[in-house]
Amino acid sequence: MATEYVDAGRAVNQSTLSFGVGSAPPVARDVTYERILNARSEPQNWLTYYGAYDGQRYSPLDQINTENVKDLRPAWVFQAGTQGLHAGPSTYSFEATPIVVDGVMYVSGWDGWVWALDARTGQELWRHKHAIPYDVSLCCGNVNRGVAVAEGKVFVATLNAHVLALDAETGKLVWDTVHGDVRAGESATVAPLVVKNMVIVGSSGGEFGVRGHLDAYDIETGERVWRCYMIPKPGEPGSETWPAEGEAWARGGGNCWVTGTYDPELNLLYWGTGNPAPDFDGEVREGDNLYTDCVIAVNPDNGEIQWHYQYTPHDLWDYDSNMENILFELGGRKLLGHFDKNGYFFVLDRTNGELVRVAPFVDRITWGEIDADGKVTPKVYPENEGEPVHFWPGPAGGKEWTHAAYSPKTRLFYAPVQEAGSTVTRRRREFKESIPYWGAGVAVDLTDLYGYVGAFDPTNGKEAWRWRNEVPMCASVLATGGDLVFAGAPTGEYNALNARTGELLWQFQCGSGHHSSPTTYSVDGRQYIAVPVGWGAWTEGFLPSMLGAPAGDALFVFALPE
Amino acid sequence: MATAKEELSVVVRELGLDKQNKATLGRLLAHGRLAHAEEGPDGRMRAQVRIALDELAWDPAIIVMPHAGDLELEVINDDDNTHCALFPSNGDNQFMWLVNHSRGTASLNLDGPGYYWFSSPIGNDEGRGLVGAIVVLGDVPQEARLDRPPQPQP
Repeated sequence: MATEYVDAGRAVNQSTLSFGVGSAPPVARDVTYERILNARSEPQNWLTYYGAYDGQRYSPLDQINTENVKDLRPAWVFQAGTQGLHAGPSTYSFEATPIVVDGVMYVSGWDGWVWALDARTGQELWRHKHAIPYDVSLCCGNVNRGVAVAEGKVFVATLNAHVLALDAETGKLVWDTVHGDVRAGESATVAPLVVKNMVIVGSSGGEFGVRGHLDAYDIETGERVWRCYMIPKPGEPGSETWPAEGEAWARGGGNCWVTGTYDPELNLLYWGTGNPAPDFDGEVREGDNLYTDCVIAVNPDNGEIQWHYQYTPHDLWDYDSNMENILFELGGRKLLGHFDKNGYFFVLDRTNGELVRVAPFVDRITWGEIDADGKVTPKVYPENEGEPVHFWPGPAGGKEWTHAAYSPKTRLFYAPVQEAGSTVTRRRREFKESIPYWGAGVAVDLTDLYGYVGAFDPTNGKEAWRWRNEVPMCASVLATGGDLVFAGAPTGEYNALNARTGELLWQFQCGSGHHSSPTTYSVDGRQYIAVPVGWGAWTEGFLPSMLGAPAGDALFVFALPE
Repeated sequence: MATAKEELSVVVRELGLDKQNKATLGRLLAHGRLAHAEEGPDGRMRAQVRIALDELAWDPAIIVMPHAGDLELEVINDDDNTHCALFPSNGDNQFMWLVNHSRGTASLNLDGPGYYWFSSPIGNDEGRGLVGAIVVLGDVPQEARLDRPPQPQP
């Protein structure tokens, strides 16, 4: 006898079984390029990845200041958790930068999540979930660094290398463009940057021997406007820095997995590029390997590289230079400041890439030396097959991708610093598409580690103060007009420091380590500090002695008592 | 003693790892049949998946889509117990409640190659064996691929 089935109906969106509202106010409709250009003039919002195109991660908000920060307390907490099986179940991490527009927060999570939240209460307004293949290639965990918002849309790059535009009021898909090839080992983790009528997105996958690229997409249609490869083809400018024979260039890395900065007057994007591939086996890629480990100045109208500066030529230590290039002015000059993985703080003339100053910002540098003229002298590197070498900083760098800040009020840079070395043993391997391509065995130190938040004076490159921590500092810092520097620790504490002295003024234990980029904003005159918390990602690379630390997935938002 | 790769499914069966409460308490993940979704003239793909009596497993355990796109999935619970289903799909995960002997439909969109897990996210249905995979074959569009010569494959 045939079974008479009960009608189970149609499957429903999982979000309908939650307490989300389902829609957000239309605040993003009015976010124009002009508003983003002047983002710092509306400090109640955090309109773009770094708060403004200059990358300073500074907010003039000063309601929370050195006098009252001791009273800071959680205003609300948002938690997502996980359900079912997802990629990188042991490496998901909350690395995002919350964007805030007129009381609405837009934030991405791991595994294709994007949420719109009420920035005053934490109420979920809508959610979007992109389906991520379980088997996608991820060097460094199931992470995403944030979204961009403009013209009524939310833009996000996904781990399976798509770029999405979502309706900012509903979270529904507007367009979906394939940005990279997952079969080649590409992925995407970067927070997009809106410039003019384009959304700029870089690629990930440098540990899998891809050819890094930076792309611009039309914000209305998703059509690609240009693509700029970071590794030149034979015959193109820069190709002379790669072996003439063979295909090292085709798998040379140089990915653009961290958001760039932008000078609208010069009409130049400043984008950091990643390590060459294979990371540690330089013998198969003789030469300087342009444009890996560089800052490239790119014309956003056509994607052409105007100039470059290579922080670590012929990298043998995995010293990506993706990290922020912060724009600032000094003595009438248009400059940029950059803390590199290689342990040096660089100041460049951003009109032409000329080196102005270079100085170490970490205590221990043994891989080599960079003199005052920028001349690089390698000293310790994996040279002989099977022979272990130890060097500082380790592959996570003196500073990881997580960001420094610059306060125009104190005229100091603030950087999270990691003091950790590593032992690397060259192990040549054959290149195969989508398979990790490091060319070495890597063991990051488990002992003799520490970290600090350092304040640095760009006029001389010297350290003004430091706040020392028992373990390396691995989260972005935030500077505010209240003369505060906020910095999260791997051990879960969120700290407020005096921006002029480094004195610890307040601390809150969030229960899981910090590896994200907190932001600040205000709603109805009340200032908030938004802090994504969740330990994970490539902990084996930047702090393996804390691989057993608690994971987490909470967004803490702090404010003073009403 | 290790087995040869081609013997794995045979040994799993012999040991009872593909059954409930035999060698282990539950059933090893995704040991079962594989089925190919069929593409209709409208370009949508269609497949069926069911939960058999007392097996706490999806049948088929692996659903293969020939390429990225839309999948219309008929879901049947032939068990004497209540389960549910959580499927991956672009936009939001798709959830379905499946009381004993019920039947429903899930509309899924998966936009790129790779494999995606689905499950019954109640109790420990996932641990007992109610986990399956949707496999999407094919490649990304030509315009999204790297501009380089063909490279060695694993």
